[in-house]
Amino acid sequence: MTPRTKTALVLFAIVSTMAVSSSHAQDKFRLKPGAKGKICLTCHEGFKEKLKLPFLHTPVKQGDCSDCHNPHTSSQGKLLSENVNRICFSCHDGIVPAKARSAHKVVAEGNCVKCHDPHAAKNKNNLLQAGNELCFGCHQRIAKEVAGNKFKHNPVEKGCLNCHNPHGSAKSLSLLKNDVPGICVACHKPDAPAFGKQHMGYSVAKSDCISCHNPHGGNNRGILWGKPHQPVANKMCSQCHLDPSSTDALKTRKAGVDLCRGCHNTKMNEIMGRKRVHWPVVDKMSCQNCHNPHASRENALLKEPQLPLCGKCHQDTIERLDKSAVKHKPAQEGNCTKCHMPHSSNNVSLLDNTSPINLCGTCHDWQKHSSHPIGEKVTDKRNRNLTMDCSSCHAPHGSDQKRFTWYDVKMELCVQCHEQYKR
Amino acid sequence: MRSAMKQIMIASMILAVATGSQAAEPLKFRQMAPIYVDGKGAGIRQPEGVACRGNALVVADTGNGRLLRYTLAGENWTPGGEIVLPQLPSPLRVDVNSKGEIFALDGQSRKIVRVAASGEFLGYVAPTGDVQGAIVPRSFRIDKDDNLYLLDVLSARVLVMDPSGKIQREIPFPKEYGFFSDLAVDPGGSILLLDSVRKKVFKVAKNSPNIAQLTESLKEEAYFPVAIATDKQGTIYLVDQNGSGVVILGQDGSFRGRRLSMGWKEGFLRYPAEMCVTENGAAFIADRGNNRVDGFLITE
Repeated sequence: MTPRTKTALVLFAIVSTMAVSSSHAQDKFRLKPGAKGKICLTCHEGFKEKLKLPFLHTPVKQGDCSDCHNPHTSSQGKLLSENVNRICFSCHDGIVPAKARSAHKVVAEGNCVKCHDPHAAKNKNNLLQAGNELCFGCHQRIAKEVAGNKFKHNPVEKGCLNCHNPHGSAKSLSLLKNDVPGICVACHKPDAPAFGKQHMGYSVAKSDCISCHNPHGGNNRGILWGKPHQPVANKMCSQCHLDPSSTDALKTRKAGVDLCRGCHNTKMNEIMGRKRVHWPVVDKMSCQNCHNPHASRENALLKEPQLPLCGKCHQDTIERLDKSAVKHKPAQEGNCTKCHMPHSSNNVSLLDNTSPINLCGTCHDWQKHSSHPIGEKVTDKRNRNLTMDCSSCHAPHGSDQKRFTWYDVKMELCVQCHEQYKR
Repeated sequence: MRSAMKQIMIASMILAVATGSQAAEPLKFRQMAPIYVDGKGAGIRQPEGVACRGNALVVADTGNGRLLRYTLAGENWTPGGEIVLPQLPSPLRVDVNSKGEIFALDGQSRKIVRVAASGEFLGYVAPTGDVQGAIVPRSFRIDKDDNLYLLDVLSARVLVMDPSGKIQREIPFPKEYGFFSDLAVDPGGSILLLDSVRKKVFKVAKNSPNIAQLTESLKEEAYFPVAIATDKQGTIYLVDQNGSGVVILGQDGSFRGRRLSMGWKEGFLRYPAEMCVTENGAAFIADRGNNRVDGFLITE
């Protein structure tokens, strides 16, 4: 045998071995003939009933249990071959569009089983429940509103998926299939005479429909949000906007604060007459920083509930509040205006009272239960220019201590001033 | 060969120590005597403004609706007089020009009041020249040549005026921003703008029409910065109101440390509002929540 022949034989042996081991790797859980799709059911008998359901997950239908489960061992629960929050994406990796503008939180977190049964279900796409019931399981506030609406929005009644993509949207926020107004004008034709009449002759085809209308329905005719601005409710758009026949009809008659002053003059004078203004009130956006000029779900036409609204700028305060183990109730409930005046104040931090003690006293009868001297005549021992008030010991939004004191009452708080007792 | 390697290693170690020390060397804030009272012994209340120029220190004693003057000598200060004006019930920001005139933003009228060195009301700052739109100043600064830089939140711009009030430049705010609370002018004449909401600093180079972002969001370094100041080296100081501290940035916007923390005692801050730095490196902070002006000597 020549050396060349020897080399060829060795190479042939190596290649053959690799081919055999490769074929084994491809079918590592090779079962006995006829066992596939049946062998698991010999133990998991209860599963037989499940397989009678009309909609089966494809691997289940094909008997490929080992597509998702490792039959021998796994570091994941239920012998899954990958983390439960990632395993679905090994096949369904494009379920959320690349560069999605919005993604459903449960999908992003890989909680697919919140909506889908991974094996079989009564409903199409293995959904746990059919139609809106599934969505309403989590989105209960909308469910409640929709159920109580006097004026229904037809697509909502027919199904959330008329407007929303359940996994993610490449085109729009809020999982919408298309941006507003595009998604609205697909049904509500702006060139229809009735549409023009309803909108007082204003060309609103490119406007933000959601600024006036609740897309889920409502109790106001025209499904206006629950708290419409009076001129909107009275269909008096021209009170703020130029005449509908003008070339720039949607332009407001005046800019910023001056427009609102037209009706809210007394309020404006009060706001502007105080010593400290909340600066967004006098910036370019002014009132519209916080208020929706057309309609809102919230009182006072606020764009959002107070906590997220104030948190748009005062994010640090909200984050610290979130982290506080003990929270002051108004802060926790998002009732910022319980203590702060939102527009302006004569007091520091836009507080609603010159005296912090009197401010706290509007809710707390401190004079009855407090034994520690406080008031204008009691100097703070830490600082000769300060007098003792509630905030000398309590953090007004919250802290990690009982009764949201700045420091631990037992070991740290009192000795801040009474240093002689420090251990 | 061996000796060459040794030399390279020694040189590298020296270089590493040198550069490392430069990068890590934090500025120190050494406490000086705080200011609690005016010349008559009456306490300061909720001060929101402080300005220093030469040996003059002016405090906006906001809670008492007055301005207070002090004279600086080294690390010491001597009370001067108080200025109470009906046109200035709620002084917020203050600054001083080379003539000793005091400029103060009034929170109630939202106008900048001009006060003579003698304490007499001289009028309101009213820009002249080609200026469109109404003005609501949130803050202002005066540079070494007495030019006035006005942060106009209503028309979203910075107006630069010469000492006579004539508009020299108008710089619009950038497209994306949260809320600008303050501005400063560094020794090179660049304008620095502080976005309190997005916690960013923007810069307008001298004579440039463009505004550029100097820092990324300082969310990890600051809670709610409300005022910005620079020293003669161009070091930037951000007064973090809700974090009760001072964030230090290099001229290039690089983070150089955070100083001071919340407390009632001397050396601590509670909701500070404004800061100024003297030529000698003394920093004065309007410590609103502590009813005093804190003094610190900034050292390497």
